[in-house]
Amino acid sequence: MGDNVLEIRNLIKTFPGVTAVNDVSFDIRRNTVHCLVGENGAGKSTLIKILTGAEQRSYGTIRLNGDDYVAHNPKDARDKGISTLFQELNVVDQLTVAENLTLGMEVTTFGFLRNVGTEKMIDVLKNLEPSIDPRRKVSTLSVAKKQIVEIAKAVASESEIIIMDEPTAAISEGEIQRLFKIIRGLRDKSVTVIYISHRLDEIFELGDAVTVMRDGRHIDTRPVSDIRDRSELIRMMIGKTVFEKYEPKENPSTETILKVEDVSNDKLCNVSFELRKGEIIGFYGLVGAGKTELARAIYGVDRYDGSITFKEKTLESSPHKAIEAGIALVPEERRSEGLFTILTIRGNTCVMNMDKISRSGFVNNQSEKRVTAEYIRQLNIATHTMEKETAKLSGGNQQKIVFSKCLFADADLLLLDEPTRGIDVGAKSEIYQIIRDLAHDGKSIIIFSSELHEIVNICDTIYLLYEGVLKERIENGTVIDSEKILHTVTGGE
Amino acid sequence: MKARNAVGTVAVNAEPGYLDPYRNRWIAIVKASYIYIVFLLIVLVFSVVKLDQVRFFGRGHFLSPVSIVNLLRSSVPIITLAGSFTLLMISEHIDLSVGSAMSLSAVIYALLVRSGVSFLPAFLITMVLGVLCGYVNGALVMKLRITPVIATLVTLNVFKGIALLIVPNRISAIKSTDTIKMPLWINDYARKAVFLRLPAAFYVAIAVVVVLVIVQRKTILGKYTAAMGGNRTAAELSGINTVRIGWILYIIVGVSAAMAGIARASYMSLGDPLSGDGMELDCIIAVLLGGTNFYGGEGSVEKSVIGALIIVCVTVGLMTVVPPFWQMVARGSVLIFAVTLNYLLAKD
Repeated sequence: MGDNVLEIRNLIKTFPGVTAVNDVSFDIRRNTVHCLVGENGAGKSTLIKILTGAEQRSYGTIRLNGDDYVAHNPKDARDKGISTLFQELNVVDQLTVAENLTLGMEVTTFGFLRNVGTEKMIDVLKNLEPSIDPRRKVSTLSVAKKQIVEIAKAVASESEIIIMDEPTAAISEGEIQRLFKIIRGLRDKSVTVIYISHRLDEIFELGDAVTVMRDGRHIDTRPVSDIRDRSELIRMMIGKTVFEKYEPKENPSTETILKVEDVSNDKLCNVSFELRKGEIIGFYGLVGAGKTELARAIYGVDRYDGSITFKEKTLESSPHKAIEAGIALVPEERRSEGLFTILTIRGNTCVMNMDKISRSGFVNNQSEKRVTAEYIRQLNIATHTMEKETAKLSGGNQQKIVFSKCLFADADLLLLDEPTRGIDVGAKSEIYQIIRDLAHDGKSIIIFSSELHEIVNICDTIYLLYEGVLKERIENGTVIDSEKILHTVTGGE
Repeated sequence: MKARNAVGTVAVNAEPGYLDPYRNRWIAIVKASYIYIVFLLIVLVFSVVKLDQVRFFGRGHFLSPVSIVNLLRSSVPIITLAGSFTLLMISEHIDLSVGSAMSLSAVIYALLVRSGVSFLPAFLITMVLGVLCGYVNGALVMKLRITPVIATLVTLNVFKGIALLIVPNRISAIKSTDTIKMPLWINDYARKAVFLRLPAAFYVAIAVVVVLVIVQRKTILGKYTAAMGGNRTAAELSGINTVRIGWILYIIVGVSAAMAGIARASYMSLGDPLSGDGMELDCIIAVLLGGTNFYGGEGSVEKSVIGALIIVCVTVGLMTVVPPFWQMVARGSVLIFAVTLNYLLAKD
């Protein structure tokens, strides 16, 4: 057997309109902790999905121990020796720890369970974490311990590679240290770990080697010891992205439209900021930093302590009141939360403000058509008819329809949660232009995004979020140090 | 890192067992035994209430040997069904067609007996019919992936339709007519005392329950049922063929429904195409009363049987004190009670 447990060559994965993984080749050495880093959309998760069998590659080869490797589904991958610790854990809460460990590998006589083989599994678990009682029900364990049960199961079923997708996202500091100890111990058990995390410190603490990806491409793979510090890693992650030029507003308004004071809930911690009329502000942070939660709090979906004042009135905590007051949310999950995908463009455009086109309960079809045609023209929606089902449109055009919905609702404040996710480059710049035009027309806009260049590109003021806390406020127009920003949002002090 | 901890506290607290062991133990005890207490209370209430005017079946006290025998004899169908229905619900599925499958079986069994087939062949043929009903449900739900409620709602009507078609026009059930007589022995299975004044059907039902308890606790089918209902993805990742497990469970429920139908036909000496109506609701109530998680994963066969007895006691007990139509309302109330209890218990 060679030194490499996994060899990836010329891997390509294309989705309609997007190349998620673009000619990626690298090796993973046996019995190491191999980290995979990159910004959101860099192609990490697609790569992992191909390894676990959730997606099929478009082109390229993967060799596991020198043999060609293809997985048709996660079960298949597991049988071939690649187990995955998904973020949504795959343990059965209602069974005991021991039952979970042996699940699918029971020894039986005429269908009756026998207590053979359980010992070996339990020994593996005891070895990893003696404090877990195998007779306990899994539902009584913490997230971290459930992860350990899953790791034990993977080790016991002789997996060669365990992929861990942000395993520290939902567990506490003490538990993270315990988990790291276990991960380090796996090297001695002939297990290779592919470790994905947004927390760069963890890479230096845990990793043997690191692969950096950016925009679907493989940037570099090298031993962690060869990387000098965080900033070098960050430079590899963001590369020399050329930002479109940000142009400051000529005469900014001084009228404050939104005032958020000390907003806290279980995901947010004392968030305060102000927004002026016609201003675009952006919240940048990684997944789980609290961006969506902040948007939901302002929109009144989630409860919070503290106060939010909009147009000099305290905002009540309910989406209905928010819409009435003139706030609209463009949600992150466009297909499931932003659109009625089975309805046509016409059916979607006016839906947030039907009163405006109806009289005593009857919808005026003529005005509905007029309004829809007007937005199709204004936002340049590419369609030949307004009767097209929105499900059949491209991501960019769908997003424009969500925008027109909000505009028709007479919103003065637009909350945009990841406004360009899953949208191709050309449509992205169109969306940016729409956002700029809206601000020019006096709409105030808050963008929540995990794409730095997007924030730097269009926002007048940038706020950095990490773990629900506002870390920094940056006025755009000055020199933006993107390395420093990434340092902050990955937990650096 | 301070902020990190503020966020992290949620995860740390997620280990309820360590927080307050005493409170947890009490909850566990209540969870494990409340059904027996409820059962005893109900029996106690009905036996204490003086039934001066309307006596139970006109024969005396609620707890008199005669009424106990009557009560157990009439509860044979629900006891037969409760166990397999529990397993099905543990796997996070449901079968609304049990009542219709039971009616259809009763009609077929009565028809066979009336046309001169002897007990054992008639019994076995009806069982095969039960397998068929379960197979169809399993195919619709597991193979074609139709939502259980919809699939079995359809088969509920199909089975019922077939049962009604078999019974000739203007006759309400398969029974003795001027030309063909129903043999008198049809009654023996569900009425004739074989041991402790109770009929064979009762002991068969108990045997079914015992077998299912063993299946749940000791066999791989029982474990996979729980795994599948608890987390289907995890079960499939562990190599469990969930389609097959679910299919087997539907067939077991179908067979139980056939046995329940035979018992009912035998008890009434006729094949009534509506005799199983409402059985699905009784099964759901029994299973939920028995503490089985509505969303699958955990439950207990024997407790569902106690739940079934509770329903029978409430129905029969109320029969002695309130007009018949109120029984429906009472049954509905018991269901609401069961669902609420289920929800509260699941919440910890």
